[in-house]
Amino acid sequence: MNPRHHPSPDILAAYAAGALDSGFALVVGAHAESCAACRAKVAAFEAVSGAALSEMPAVQVGSDALSRVLARLDEAPAAVEPDARSFLERLPLKAKRWVAPGVWVAPVDTPHASENRVYLLSVAKGGLTARHEHTGAEFCTVLKGAYRDELGVFAAGDFAAAYGAFNHQPVVHGDEDCVCLFATEGRLKAQGLLGRLAFAWADV
Amino acid sequence: MRASVLSSGAVFAVSRVRRSRKARAVHEMAADSDEALLARVAQGDREAFAAFFGRYAAKVKSYLIRLGARGAQAEDLAQDAMVAVWRRAASFDGAKAKASTWMFVIARNAWIDKLRREKVELAYRGFVEAPEESEDEAPDDAAVRAQTREQMRAALSLLSEEQRQVVQLAFYEDSPHSEIAERLDLPLGTVKSRLRLALNKLRTHWEQL
Repeated sequence: MNPRHHPSPDILAAYAAGALDSGFALVVGAHAESCAACRAKVAAFEAVSGAALSEMPAVQVGSDALSRVLARLDEAPAAVEPDARSFLERLPLKAKRWVAPGVWVAPVDTPHASENRVYLLSVAKGGLTARHEHTGAEFCTVLKGAYRDELGVFAAGDFAAAYGAFNHQPVVHGDEDCVCLFATEGRLKAQGLLGRLAFAWADV
Repeated sequence: MRASVLSSGAVFAVSRVRRSRKARAVHEMAADSDEALLARVAQGDREAFAAFFGRYAAKVKSYLIRLGARGAQAEDLAQDAMVAVWRRAASFDGAKAKASTWMFVIARNAWIDKLRREKVELAYRGFVEAPEESEDEAPDDAAVRAQTREQMRAALSLLSEEQRQVVQLAFYEDSPHSEIAERLDLPLGTVKSRLRLALNKLRTHWEQL
């Protein structure tokens, strides 16, 4: 899988620096998992940050810091089982909610991202979503299938970022259901009451 | 002459062996690269770890302060990061990354984990103290949503019971039309025409708003 739509360098830099909100970082991470090119860019940003770390002015650490740390070395770390499941399977999802024929939404259970909304949206083939605009930033990574909007076709692995003024009407492309991971800040504004009702119901 | 040169070399070698391990750490490790130190840390070498700590702990703390950690918190997080260095040293691959990059990633992740813990606590507190208020929703949002839900209810109330039933099944439960027909014991054509009528009615209502 070679994604064709990527996060901009400033998004990747913020991701590498740990400066993105966790919901948005999750969506960028979903793209990076299937995009070797972006993983390489993130690694390059990390290397630059590492070099910067080496140049940081040293501040005083506690006089007992080393002995405290040495004393902790023998503590057993919390066991972490390696998780071989795919990204999609690892997502902690809340209950699916059908919002229209062929369309469901499942919020991702991320209490650490409570200021943003993180959710999975699935639209059946041939499906149309409501034309909408954004009140804040929205990041999206396609996990399965593909959709098409004014900007082109977005297939599995592709990343899209939308900001306030962007207004689009995505349509499912191809023969497969389209599943996307979204993080949004602010609410989406659907156009037309039918869309508004669906969005209210979907809680996005 | 030759023999004495040899013997003085031998004496030097012996004295090197006799030096304390601590002295070895101070004198030899000073010249080691960060990467070489990490390789030894991965073998469980505490002196190499102490040397690595000496090179990085203060810088990591400085970086954490720049990210926004304060006072004791920066100190605690820097210590956590150094413990993580010990635990994860075996995963360091000098062929893939420099030690400074690897250290940066550990420090950054310590910061992200800390934010995550704080937000989980915050979310939990919010849940416990104010269960009726959704903390991630602005008051305006709540009003708009309540209004929209009200409009939805009003629109649905225009429908006959029969129509409401098919809309409910088709839209909210996403039942295929054939399944709705089966559940309601109706011909498929009737389900489709009811749905069509219901949607027309809703559309007319919404367009008037």
